[in-house]
Amino acid sequence: MSQTITAAHSAAIDSLHVAYLAALDKGDMVAWAATFSLAPEASYFCISTENDRRGLPLALMYDDCRGRIDDRVSFVTKVWVGTYQPYRTRHFIQRLSCEAAGNNRYRVTSGFTIMMSAEGGTTAVLTSGEYRDLIEIQGDHAVFCERRAVYDADVLPRYIVFPF
Amino acid sequence: MNAPMAPFAKPWVANPDGYRVPYEVFTDQAYYDQEQEHIFRDETWSFVGLDAELPNKGDFKSTAIGDTPVIVTRDQTGQLHVFKNLCMHRGALLVRESRGNVKSFDCVYHQWSFDLTGALRGVPMRRGVRGEGGMSPAFDMANFGLDALRVEVMNGLIFASFSKSVEPLADYLGEGIVANIQRIFNRPIRIMGDYRQYIHGNWKLYAENTRDPYHGSLLHLFHSTFGLYRATQKGFTYMDPSNRHSLLKATASAAPTSASEDQEVYKNVRSYNTEFHLQDASVLAGRPEFEDRASLVINAIFPNLLIQQIANCLAVRQSVTHAPNAFEIVWTLFGYADDDEEMQMIRMKQSNLVGPAGLISMEDGEAIEIVQDAVIRDGKKTSVLAMGGVHAGSVDHMITEGPIIGFWENYARYLKLGDELKK
Repeated sequence: MSQTITAAHSAAIDSLHVAYLAALDKGDMVAWAATFSLAPEASYFCISTENDRRGLPLALMYDDCRGRIDDRVSFVTKVWVGTYQPYRTRHFIQRLSCEAAGNNRYRVTSGFTIMMSAEGGTTAVLTSGEYRDLIEIQGDHAVFCERRAVYDADVLPRYIVFPF
Repeated sequence: MNAPMAPFAKPWVANPDGYRVPYEVFTDQAYYDQEQEHIFRDETWSFVGLDAELPNKGDFKSTAIGDTPVIVTRDQTGQLHVFKNLCMHRGALLVRESRGNVKSFDCVYHQWSFDLTGALRGVPMRRGVRGEGGMSPAFDMANFGLDALRVEVMNGLIFASFSKSVEPLADYLGEGIVANIQRIFNRPIRIMGDYRQYIHGNWKLYAENTRDPYHGSLLHLFHSTFGLYRATQKGFTYMDPSNRHSLLKATASAAPTSASEDQEVYKNVRSYNTEFHLQDASVLAGRPEFEDRASLVINAIFPNLLIQQIANCLAVRQSVTHAPNAFEIVWTLFGYADDDEEMQMIRMKQSNLVGPAGLISMEDGEAIEIVQDAVIRDGKKTSVLAMGGVHAGSVDHMITEGPIIGFWENYARYLKLGDELKK
């Protein structure tokens, strides 16, 4: 871990991670979007390890601007309503590295695991993976400028509604 | 396990009120086993990959036809081959990696080594060790090459067949389907990547889903909400002369002729909202690139391939079977090698439309699974296919289930399901 991070910044980054997984574990897409920067270039990508390793760009979710992050909220909460089987998730993360990137920004990587419980079903591993983030400290809190969720499963165990 | 096929005489008759398919075809292992033998491993051509996936000599990928594991490879002369992924010695998987580049295929078990044409080139300890053991003098390495399938490549699409007698690929597909392949694969492609999705349902439910043009505007609310495809849109449903394959094509703009027509068509549709607007509409901002201006082309090719053009989102989807209640979809999205940067970006944005989390494909996974879950103990009950008249064949609209009937008629023919079906 980089020597240059302050305790306050480290705490802000931890809080951001917690806010992110708490939002998804509650199925609260608005709170999910709120963890991203309001800058137009804020982005969220969810991509398989297979494509990432092959150097191929194709992503499961490719939200390359703030507007599309907000649209993903609408897709899940408005357009798709009633078309998918409800499922709940539990995200677990551990920070792996944190490097200062200048201007109150940090490159942060974390391992993640997502457990999934479909309504009426058992709990199973949805996938694991790695978050590769560009995080910015804004005052006393942190936001994602970019979050890249690289998931491990070569074959996803089911269709996917919520971001990883 | 039930006695294969015996139970199914009556329900398969096309009654005036609908073509009926017994649900046991989706749940019974006996059907599944017959399909492997008589469809996937018999007189069909199965899609196994794109030659752009294997650009270099020695490149290989592993995949499956039905549930039979196969290797696709390009040899040192550039020739493509498809082999069973099965060592000729003791039956081990020869290749365990998804992809790679090799000079030979070496079985990990006893290190039998095969060259890229499938010939057996090395057998360790063939002559024994210190004069002891060794292979029988009658053992001839020339007799133990890999099981090779027939291979045909059409505009970069690689097909393989276990059959020695199946008609040539172009005849198998028919002119209209070949024309669509030539239309989409009209120049070198650039692979964008793969999606892989496990579906807890029978592969034939996806064959139905992809031959069903009329579910599009009802199940996929993104389509109708954002005008990508609506039931009021002009289109046609083409089937090849054998009715094995189908081509669903929306040819004109999705705009309804009037708001009142739209409201009438969709009056019973849940949560359909014409007022909803995107924050970032660039996901829908495409660029016309085909002369026919078709916005939606869904081309199902029997038994395991679908070729799609949804706006500028181009893909092939390969079905790999695992069990009566499990299959996998492998989606490969691509653009063209000569795409400019803007076009590459358009395709990346539109890739959000499809795949396991696709805005107009996520629900297909759910639709298949809820059928599979519901019919589990109702194998003798039947579905009813009646939309658009109870017959397969080409029509100049998309409000039809005809292509699904074509699929089942061919399915019955391949599985030799009794004379009563041929009526």
